[in-house]
Amino acid sequence: MKREPLVKLVNIQKSFGRVYALEQINLELYPGEIVSLVGDNGAGKSTLTKIISGTEKPDAGGQIFFDGVEVKGWNAAKARSHGIETVHQSRALSEQQSIFANVFLGRELTNKFGFVQRKKEVEETEKLMRRIGYTSKVWTPNSSVNKLSGGERQGVAISRAILFESRLVMLDEPTTAMALSEAGEVIDFIKDLKNQGKSVIFISHNPWDAHSVADRFVILDRGRIVFDGPKGDMTPEDFIAKLHNFAKNS
Amino acid sequence: MSTEAREQTVKSSFYLQERLRPVVGAAIFFAIMLVTFIGFAPDVFLTGGIYTAIFLSLPLFTIVGLSLVFVTVAGEIDLSFPSTIALSGFMFSWTLEQTSLNFYAGLLAALVTGVLCGLINGFLVTKLGLSSLITTLGMNFALIGLTNVINQGEVRMFTELNETFLRNLFVGKIGSIPSQMFWMAGIALLLGAIFHRHRFGIHCHVAGDNPEAGRAMGVDIERTKTLCFVLVGICSSITAVISILLNSTYFSTMGEGYLLPVLAAVFVGGTPVTGGRGTIGGLVIGAATVVFIQTGVVAAGLDGYWTSLGFGLVIVLSLLGHRWFSGRLTR
Repeated sequence: MKREPLVKLVNIQKSFGRVYALEQINLELYPGEIVSLVGDNGAGKSTLTKIISGTEKPDAGGQIFFDGVEVKGWNAAKARSHGIETVHQSRALSEQQSIFANVFLGRELTNKFGFVQRKKEVEETEKLMRRIGYTSKVWTPNSSVNKLSGGERQGVAISRAILFESRLVMLDEPTTAMALSEAGEVIDFIKDLKNQGKSVIFISHNPWDAHSVADRFVILDRGRIVFDGPKGDMTPEDFIAKLHNFAKNS
Repeated sequence: MSTEAREQTVKSSFYLQERLRPVVGAAIFFAIMLVTFIGFAPDVFLTGGIYTAIFLSLPLFTIVGLSLVFVTVAGEIDLSFPSTIALSGFMFSWTLEQTSLNFYAGLLAALVTGVLCGLINGFLVTKLGLSSLITTLGMNFALIGLTNVINQGEVRMFTELNETFLRNLFVGKIGSIPSQMFWMAGIALLLGAIFHRHRFGIHCHVAGDNPEAGRAMGVDIERTKTLCFVLVGICSSITAVISILLNSTYFSTMGEGYLLPVLAAVFVGGTPVTGGRGTIGGLVIGAATVVFIQTGVVAAGLDGYWTSLGFGLVIVLSLLGHRWFSGRLTR
């Protein structure tokens, strides 16, 4: 039986003035699959994830399908309501606000008048932090994010991505500026997402990390997909050689 | 910093009270000012008369100031509210005249005017990407110009409204306290709840702190900021209506004299210009401080020229106070 892609991009383009960040992108993402999206700086990785997450609009002419149905007026709120969660490279945290406010940002638990059910949000945040192993006596869900270390902030951004029933989680350079042990936890977390049947797009500059988690590689070079194939028997060395090859010929 | 050291810091630094620091700072500053005034003229400041005078005008500055907190926290500024007060006041007065003093029609006209002014500001700032500082400064000139053109310098009297139920409801007295103080308290409680506990209030904070984070999480930052400008318009029109009822008179310069005191109230109250943080309680105390200086300087026997000097000192000293107070508690 032919598998239906969760997300399908057809002829997606994005230009900033005269510069094309993405050209003729055709990509299918399947349920329960981890795709490592790799490429040099400026290859268009972050722009592609921003288009899928709805924070960037593609140029006219392209199509986005979700569960086989074309979606119109795609934006961040719609993407999140379809179960697409993103851990942005910038972490997208409001640093002066509390941890729980950040976790529920854009999806606050409210009563019918729009007032936030603060107690419930705090309890859910506590549970969530315990679930992903971020236990600390230093902060509580009420603590401001600007009191946290870099790794802890990343923990908040990641936990936000799994709080709601997500179907596709995109992580843009999630291990940047992390200690080795923390990066290892993130890699385990990504594998755990796959076990839960979720799709994952993983972006990393670290080819070893990208190789270790991937079912499939998508290599971007100056806005174009130059390779899209399964990991299969490819060793890390083969993968790195392939990356070098594309870099040399670009 | 080690985990143990951070835990120690948390335990010793009122960590959970962080949000209250500006309010406490503003309250301490107000108390110092009050004691200073009492020291200078105890016979004036230990009697009730001065406070009745303060209660008459405090709501006017507070109501519009409350909305300024929202827009400032959202990372913008609105300098057009004095003209919005004048224009919506004109619409209130004009409608009263045209409808044989139909108060509700006048109130509706004032509110619609305020909302429209806010929507225009919001459109210019969020859709056209103009600087709110310059845009609302320009709007302040444009709106007062428009008001003067259509009002033609006329002073409109509404003495017929004196002793009516509606006037008493808005600006009468309950005991010895002016009614508008209760309206002010109600509006402050409602806006305080929205500011701290409502989805809109949270989005205002995020809009000023990290709008990109908000957008990435699906928050409509442009809509949030536009609603902040609309709120300023609504509060300006309420201020205009209360002021007209209080004085039984409309004059097109009625918005003058609000700009600097209200902005001072926002900053003295502990809301920084940088966005993302702010306090409703602090604004009420900041407005009380500002109105107290306006009234107190004259009541203390000094001439009105001292008022500006008082404002200047209060703003600078309160900013230093906020910095010292917050810094001390975090070290």
